[in-house]
Amino acid sequence: MSLFFYLFFGLIGLFLLLFAWSMRKTHRRGRAPADSDALQESGRGHVAHLPQIRQALGEADLEYLSQKAPGVLARRARKERRRVALDYLLAVREDFEGLLRLAKIIAVLSPEVAVVQEFERVRLAAKFTWRYELIRMQLRAGLAPLPRLDALSDFVSSMSVRMETAMKELGERAALAAELASSFNGGGRDVT
Amino acid sequence: MAEIATFERMLWGVSVVLKWGLFVLLVFRKNYRTFPLFFTYVLVTVVQSPVLFVSYRTWGFQSVASGNIAWGTQGLVIAARGLAVAEICRRIMGMYRGIWALASRLLLATAGLVLVYSWAVARPHWQAAVLNCDRGLELAIAAVLMMVSLFASHYEIEVEQTVRYLALGLFLYSCLSVVNNTVLEKFSWSYAPAWNLFRTVAFVASLLMWAWALREQQPETVSEPTMLPEETYRALTPELNLRLKALNEQLGRFWHVEAKKH
Repeated sequence: MSLFFYLFFGLIGLFLLLFAWSMRKTHRRGRAPADSDALQESGRGHVAHLPQIRQALGEADLEYLSQKAPGVLARRARKERRRVALDYLLAVREDFEGLLRLAKIIAVLSPEVAVVQEFERVRLAAKFTWRYELIRMQLRAGLAPLPRLDALSDFVSSMSVRMETAMKELGERAALAAELASSFNGGGRDVT
Repeated sequence: MAEIATFERMLWGVSVVLKWGLFVLLVFRKNYRTFPLFFTYVLVTVVQSPVLFVSYRTWGFQSVASGNIAWGTQGLVIAARGLAVAEICRRIMGMYRGIWALASRLLLATAGLVLVYSWAVARPHWQAAVLNCDRGLELAIAAVLMMVSLFASHYEIEVEQTVRYLALGLFLYSCLSVVNNTVLEKFSWSYAPAWNLFRTVAFVASLLMWAWALREQQPETVSEPTMLPEETYRALTPELNLRLKALNEQLGRFWHVEAKKH
């Protein structure tokens, strides 16, 4: 059997998988492409709650516990810290997805889009998902040693500042987009 | 073999009845106004059956003349299918001018690439040229429908249920045709009876899906959403992409820290 013979089967298999995945995704989503609440939420982000997260992930508390408290308690604290890190990672993803959603709505409602910007966003989303999954799996498997959680807290703190500044700048424009998104939800399927 | 032939004849009859049924449904529900190119496709397939019947009766099933007529009409059917697919793509994304401009270019490029690929890997025998052409076009149709579905999913565009079923029917039929033609190319005419049978079964399944999708009258046009001013995209999108990049870099930096500590 030639390679091309199998290549056609492979291609069709790939097409079927992608088609089913995209159809399922569209079907499962259920709600309208965007809602103004989600857009406004994406402007704020989870990064605002980071001082508390940072404290939860701090090394000092854990060291103190390891020295003073029984082993069970230290293990439990370690587990809790891991859970906090996972929750926070999820929150970061939500922030990312919020921004992504806003960008998509703007693209859908724009009379002209730039190919470079659109592909750049696809690339960024793929890269983010890959990294996110890697870190999440490491945390879940307990492979990430506790000092790593400090790195995460540093990361979120610096991001908090950057995002807040960025969102302030975006402020009015995001509100405009949110307003238009609600009109996008309303329109589109009316019989004329 | 004889059982296959009988079953195939029966299926052929069923497909003719279903084609007429779909045609009548399209007219009766006035859906030809909503999907004029899909209607044209159904009309071409409806006309193809009596033409083939007459040619087989006149010149015989194995004759060159019948073969030429069969493949010639098949060319028309595929061209009409291509137009129907274009109509479906436009129905899904056409109202969003910006992304439709991007998507239509991408879809055309995809179709072109797939056709070139199909032609490049085809067996270098002129006898197989028609079959390869048919396979290439079906593969291009499947690729385009897959891409448009990915696009709609990526941009969270809601696809009408009717359009979804029409697309699904066209997509599945094209996929099966590619597989079927590839096997036929490999095993030559010993596979021909089964090839005919699978093709008819797939077509009957698609016809049922389309009839179900078009059982009710569809809205002729859909209202366009209010578009943003042109400068909004230019001002906001690079900024948003920068934010996304910043989030990505931070996550990456965190991950690199992780990796070094290992």
